[in-house]
Amino acid sequence: MLPGAGTKNIFQRISDHSVLMIILVLALIPFVLPYEALATQMIIWGLLALGYNILYGYTGLLSFGHAAYFGLGAYTTGIVLIRTNCSLLAGIGAGVLVSAIGAGIIGFFCLRRRGIYFALLTMAFAQMLYFTASIWESLTGGEPGLRNIPHPPLEIPGLFSFNIYTPLRFYFFVWALVVISLLLLSRILESPFGKVLQGIRENEKRARALGYNANRIKWLSFILSGTFSGLAGALHTLYISFVGLEQLYWETSGKILLMTLLGGPGTFFGPFIGAGTFLYLEDIISGFTQYWMIVLGPIFVLCVLFFPQGIWGTVRDWADRCKGADLKRGQGNWKS
Amino acid sequence: MEVLRTENLTKKFGGLAAVAHVDFHLERNEVQSIIGPNGAGKSTLFKLINGELKPTQGRIWFNGEEITGLEQHVISHKGIATSYQITNIFPKLTAFENVRLAVQSRRTSYNCWSKAEDHQTINEKAEEILQKIGLGEKRSNLAANISYGDQRHLEIGVALGTEPILLLMDEPTSGLSPIETRETVSLIKEIAKGLSVILVEHKMKVVMDLSDKITVLHEGEVIARGNPQEIRANEKVRRVYLGGVKE
Repeated sequence: MLPGAGTKNIFQRISDHSVLMIILVLALIPFVLPYEALATQMIIWGLLALGYNILYGYTGLLSFGHAAYFGLGAYTTGIVLIRTNCSLLAGIGAGVLVSAIGAGIIGFFCLRRRGIYFALLTMAFAQMLYFTASIWESLTGGEPGLRNIPHPPLEIPGLFSFNIYTPLRFYFFVWALVVISLLLLSRILESPFGKVLQGIRENEKRARALGYNANRIKWLSFILSGTFSGLAGALHTLYISFVGLEQLYWETSGKILLMTLLGGPGTFFGPFIGAGTFLYLEDIISGFTQYWMIVLGPIFVLCVLFFPQGIWGTVRDWADRCKGADLKRGQGNWKS
Repeated sequence: MEVLRTENLTKKFGGLAAVAHVDFHLERNEVQSIIGPNGAGKSTLFKLINGELKPTQGRIWFNGEEITGLEQHVISHKGIATSYQITNIFPKLTAFENVRLAVQSRRTSYNCWSKAEDHQTINEKAEEILQKIGLGEKRSNLAANISYGDQRHLEIGVALGTEPILLLMDEPTSGLSPIETRETVSLIKEIAKGLSVILVEHKMKVVMDLSDKITVLHEGEVIARGNPQEIRANEKVRRVYLGGVKE
């Protein structure tokens, strides 16, 4: 028997059960990495990049302002937990809701333009939020940020109450929410609506001609993307017990984009691989020098020049070529 | 029964009228060709009918209902589809998914919970169209990877996927070899049994072969209309357009 004939290579096996695989891998990383907090940071940023990828990777819209939804989620959860006596899940829910509404409003205006103008508008809105947060000190704490965010237990009143604030417990709390997000998102991307998103990415003009209301669908994609990014923001607040202005700063938007590009836009694994690689490199290199961006910079340049599909996209294509498979992917195999 | 009518339809780009005062009319299940030299306004006329462009002046009725100025996606849902001159498909989706997405547009856009591949009626319709355009064997190939001739057929298949009442075909045989052209002509004959077609085409043999009626455009204006024999015999048409063309 020829090697590979009749058998699936490992990458195809992974693609066939991609959601399950990624859930398992994510369950293992806190035990592999030097410390749990790094793992937590990775999946929170992975979730953020996952949300970003809905818009950029699957709908083909380049946003340069996703710090806005990350920040809205982060600030809202922080403010709600400080000022009200609400439960943990309600605090997270408030963050997610406000970022969804924010994405709805901002997306409505940004989507009136295309391409570079769209990207600039998303960035302008994010910067407006940044300056608003820096001025509105009574609400946001201004420059020093929001501190002393309480740590309410995970509880359903009358049923159970559980302290999640050890590094490992907190990791698995975040993991559980990431798993729910992944399952939701995989479902959405495989649905008729998800297929239309990919149709718009491939050829918006034709999608319109087919009778799809491209404007409305892009808007929904924008909101969906902002919602998941907002969840990442809410979790980030709990993770570091602090919300700072830099979360709304345009550098954060750039970081999200870099992670997505590094991992592989339009792939399901990509955002996590991108976020993980980025943060791991940052962690190692910043141990040697504070100018870690000088080392990371060239890595990105090389990536974008030679692996425009990102790490996972490149690995996947390479695996397909080894197999000589005729691209089952086009069937909308968004999975791998 | 009349399926499409335009009245005084005009589109100006700056000072230039690409389409000027066109009164056009099409019967149900008729195949009508629009011919004319390059720049005569044929493609612009298509874009006005399918809603890609909004007219500067004039009105359009489809199936007895005025559609002037409606959004493109709304007009699509009324039953007008376009197959484009420059192949306009989804390159990184498979042939099947290209057609499936078109068929899906008639049934669901916002369902974000069920699996797209489990919608059997959509799959069956897409499969049927794929067979009709002769791409059944290539269903799993990426649209970008199939031959140009196949892409031209897929282009038509994607338009058919929306199950139109009226199909606007912009040079369906452009760039095809004589053999492929013959195949496409018989495909169009097959398709035209169940719907109305407006055809823009430069190959006179194709036009004469397929058309019930022909409208001749010149510098945005209608200069003649009639059946193929009448157009062939028309002195003015021979002068501005058919002049050098051998039949």
